[in-house]
Amino acid sequence: MSKPHYDREHHVKKATGIGDPQCFKGEAGAPKFKVGDKVRIRDLPDIFYTRTQVYTRGVPATVAQLVYESPAPEDEAWDNTDKVVWFYSLVFKQKDLWPDYPDAFANDTVETELPERWLEPL
Amino acid sequence: MAEKHKPAPMVDEVSEFEVLEIAVRELAIEKGLFTAEDHQRWTEYMHTLGPLPAARLVAKAWLDPEFKKLAVEDGVKASLEVGIDWVNSMPTHFGTPSDYCNLRVLEDTPKLKHVVVCTLCSCYPRPILGQSPEWYRTPNYRRRLVRWPRQVLAEFGLQVPEDVEVRVEDSNQKSRFIVLPVRPEGTEGWSEDQLAEIVTRDCLIGVAVPKPGKTANDPRPVRPAVNPYHH
Amino acid sequence: MAEINPKYFELDKEMRDRDLDESTPVSLLEDVKGKGRVWDDLCEQYGVDNPDPPWRITLEATCDMLAGGYWETFNVCKPKEERDSEEEQKHLDAVERRWEEDQLVNKYYDEVPFPERQLLALAHTLIRRGLFDEEELARRMEEIDRRLNSA
Repeated sequence: MSKPHYDREHHVKKATGIGDPQCFKGEAGAPKFKVGDKVRIRDLPDIFYTRTQVYTRGVPATVAQLVYESPAPEDEAWDNTDKVVWFYSLVFKQKDLWPDYPDAFANDTVETELPERWLEPL
Repeated sequence: MAEKHKPAPMVDEVSEFEVLEIAVRELAIEKGLFTAEDHQRWTEYMHTLGPLPAARLVAKAWLDPEFKKLAVEDGVKASLEVGIDWVNSMPTHFGTPSDYCNLRVLEDTPKLKHVVVCTLCSCYPRPILGQSPEWYRTPNYRRRLVRWPRQVLAEFGLQVPEDVEVRVEDSNQKSRFIVLPVRPEGTEGWSEDQLAEIVTRDCLIGVAVPKPGKTANDPRPVRPAVNPYHH
Repeated sequence: MAEINPKYFELDKEMRDRDLDESTPVSLLEDVKGKGRVWDDLCEQYGVDNPDPPWRITLEATCDMLAGGYWETFNVCKPKEERDSEEEQKHLDAVERRWEEDQLVNKYYDEVPFPERQLLALAHTLIRRGLFDEEELARRMEEIDRRLNSA
């Protein structure tokens, strides 16, 4: 495996005065999911760096909002910003997250954001 | 008059901790980990931050339905009206590895109560809310809030009725969050300044709700981490 | 699905297997922990009600700066052995630092209040990573102590 090239300047140049994640707007293409879609969080192998919480893996959720476009943290942590994807805000039912907890309230929810690659249609 | 200008009391003693902080910083600079100039610029910027702009944003939203709509749709744009430019106020002009420029304002309703956590580290909307309190950083709060939100809120003195949905926002990516609580009764006819005073930091994180007459955060006990149930 | 570099799997395993059980107490920091007067005590003695010591923001800024030179690079958080240049070796990613802070506090600084515990943990982390050593830090502390107390 060849060593990736880390360009120290490109992100600063791209984001200055625009903001991050704003600087990636329009780069992700058509989103695969829309608000209201039911999805399941994929249980992908843990890679070295991820921000997908273990407690969400394999759990169903509903798309609440398409929030922004950005490289996924798994790529960005390695300074790979070529592949920009949609990020979704997802709502989980507490009952689905913690089925073993008798004291989870039926109405209570957790909301969190994930990149498209972690979602599969339900 | 002159008596009113007595100097405020100050700590007239250099502690070992203060010395250690300076030593760590000076060595880091000498080793080239960062420059003294960058550190100073960043420190100066951080000293300007606090929860007041976020409180004012909430007060404005309570008074102006159009502004509330803007705040919920585009928190970054709404922040400009309370003097916070998420992109350009920062010395970097684009955000940082922990301060991304996507503020989301979470609107509570009589049937929905939001509360914010970052289970992965301790992401916090610093540009508009200042430094996070200690309890927000503890593994105890981070691990337990997503699992037992009502119990944790009860420890903060907030009992949420059963028919109100508690929604925990786990801040894990590039959005940062503040809560827009329901305007409390007893504040009819209040000015923006009066309203902003009761929107405390804890109300903006979501572990408290605003009340007339309450303008400060309660002291929060900090508990050691407990091992969570393994999912 | 994007291709996942197989190298990541090894790194992930390494990260999960990594723990701080082999860490040792740093006698200099134990000394500060024992002798140092925490902010709460100083406030009480001097009748000050500022909840944070004046150095809290400076410490926070140091942590931010270590997370990756804000003006040069961005979000470098590769594991140490993967960092190609000397420059990259110096970064201490925020997630890594927070993880170590939690571990070290739990093991050594549990009794110390915040933000003193954050400071002890950061100094401990930097010594563990060899960014400076204990003697160097001790010498520097003596020097600063002389400087501040002679002023």
